Amino acid sequence: MASAADAPVQGQSDGERSTGMSGAAAALTQDRQRLELAALSAPAVIFTAAMIAFPVVYTVWLGFQSFSSTGRQSFVGLDNYSKLVADREFWHGLWVTFALYVLSLVLQVVLGVWLALALFHAKRLPGIVRSLFISPFMMPPVVAGMMWLVILDPSLGAANYILQFLGLPPSEWLASPTWVIPTVALIDTWQWTPFVALIVLGGLQSLPPSVYEAAQIDGASAFKTFHRITLPLLLPTIVTAAILRSVDLLRFFDIIYITTQGGPGNASNTLNIYGFRVGFEFFNIGYASALMLTLTAIVFGAVLAFNRLRNAVAW
Amino acid sequence: MTEAPTVDIWIRRLNLLQLIVAGVIILAPTVWMVLSSLKPSFEVTAYPPTLLFSPTLENYVQLTETTPFLDYAINSLIVTIGSTGLGLLFGIPAAFAVSWTRISWPAILTLAARMAPGTLFLLPWYVMFRQVGMIGSYSALILSHAVITLPIIIWILLPSFDAIPRSIFEAAQVDGCSVTRILWRIALPLVASGIAVAAILAFVFSWNYFLFALVLSNGDSKTLIAAAFNFIGEGSTQWGALMAAATLIALPPLILAMLVQRWLVSGLTLGAVKG
Repeated sequence: MASAADAPVQGQSDGERSTGMSGAAAALTQDRQRLELAALSAPAVIFTAAMIAFPVVYTVWLGFQSFSSTGRQSFVGLDNYSKLVADREFWHGLWVTFALYVLSLVLQVVLGVWLALALFHAKRLPGIVRSLFISPFMMPPVVAGMMWLVILDPSLGAANYILQFLGLPPSEWLASPTWVIPTVALIDTWQWTPFVALIVLGGLQSLPPSVYEAAQIDGASAFKTFHRITLPLLLPTIVTAAILRSVDLLRFFDIIYITTQGGPGNASNTLNIYGFRVGFEFFNIGYASALMLTLTAIVFGAVLAFNRLRNAVAW
Repeated sequence: MTEAPTVDIWIRRLNLLQLIVAGVIILAPTVWMVLSSLKPSFEVTAYPPTLLFSPTLENYVQLTETTPFLDYAINSLIVTIGSTGLGLLFGIPAAFAVSWTRISWPAILTLAARMAPGTLFLLPWYVMFRQVGMIGSYSALILSHAVITLPIIIWILLPSFDAIPRSIFEAAQVDGCSVTRILWRIALPLVASGIAVAAILAFVFSWNYFLFALVLSNGDSKTLIAAAFNFIGEGSTQWGALMAAATLIALPPLILAMLVQRWLVSGLTLGAVKG
């Protein structure tokens, strides 16, 4: 994300390129070239403006509106936002979103780094291993939800049979208000830990080998080498993986919508699920817009915070 | 290392063991899904679950006979191919121009779509598309899914275009080649493999995307992913057919992902990781 932003500005490279040509002709070519380049990116820019920029501005406007059941629309100022502050379901959704986010992110980063180290230290890795690792996160989340719905069925599912086999008490899994969040976190962790592992593995493979050799010569233990050398060098990669997962986890939708629709009761009603239902089940478009803008602010806030963290641990 | 070599061997075996355990955990649910889809209907819900059974395709037959599965699949293909094509049409020239000028805001703008929750766009789209009667149309679905494919395509192609030596373009310019001609005649063939990776990943993500089709499609234009919901409703007692549907929906993205697995991770991180 950062690579393109810190590149030199256009003027400099233009100046260098024009030196070979005579004044007026060169200026003409320059103008023509700039026009052509603008025309090349125009379709993407216009499309993005029409499909994203304008709708977001429209959402901001919708957030100041109220829609009655007859479809009549009226300007209500900040009413939707003061309603939001007083809405217990909003605060519950915020809590569910953060609980699911923290639990999933910690699980995926810890397990992902651990898996990446195991992969890194295995001397030979058959090509099939990579295929195996990418299969969960290339599968539609909706399919993952359908699959786990059957496996985690409280009465007939394979998961409870395995628990019983191990002498453990069965769980209600997705049907339990207490366990639904950890269960959804487990499903997402199953799906995305391999992704984190492959990113971290890429980071491990790009570390300079001379670092390890120096540590070995100094007689550092394996744990000390990891703690003092590998981990600090790996941190920027780990933070990048955390950013990518944060963006998905804070707007968690697919698996919950397919398995519980926010239930049982409202136990898994994340902000994104809540906003969706307010908008498309109760057709309260104004309030849903306020909810979604708030969630978007949270997602972008998290990305900015992580970006600062990444700059802080960069080397 | 000062430890005896036997310790080293044990560490390696332990490492292999934990990789095998991880591999089983990763693979087992998917295998269970496929096995369940092949079980006779009375055996799918058997408890304790059975591992040995005589495989049958009856669930797949039932799925195609009792649901418009093929129609949904065709809808999915139209939307996915349409949005991938649109993404390539807009994304290739944009990525080339961004790489050439180093002006990156058009690429960063498309990234915003990758980060914001889809519901944020879906609310105004719903209002807008309803006003012009486009709810349920393929064009509304293709346009909305192109919002997913465009950033993937631009950010995968950027490093490919960046990797072409500038001297090649400069030589062509001296010969009087226009920028557009340089893109079509010189740059495109050089980034052909990047385009293939971008197209495949865009296809996979468009195919897998759930939220937009949930609201913007109707009975006739429903995609497989949006229809998955119906299979669950009907499948509460029909696990075999449900798992057959899940298997078939997962198959295209899984097969395509295997083709590009070497470039997949760097492609998915949208320029955040080179690897």
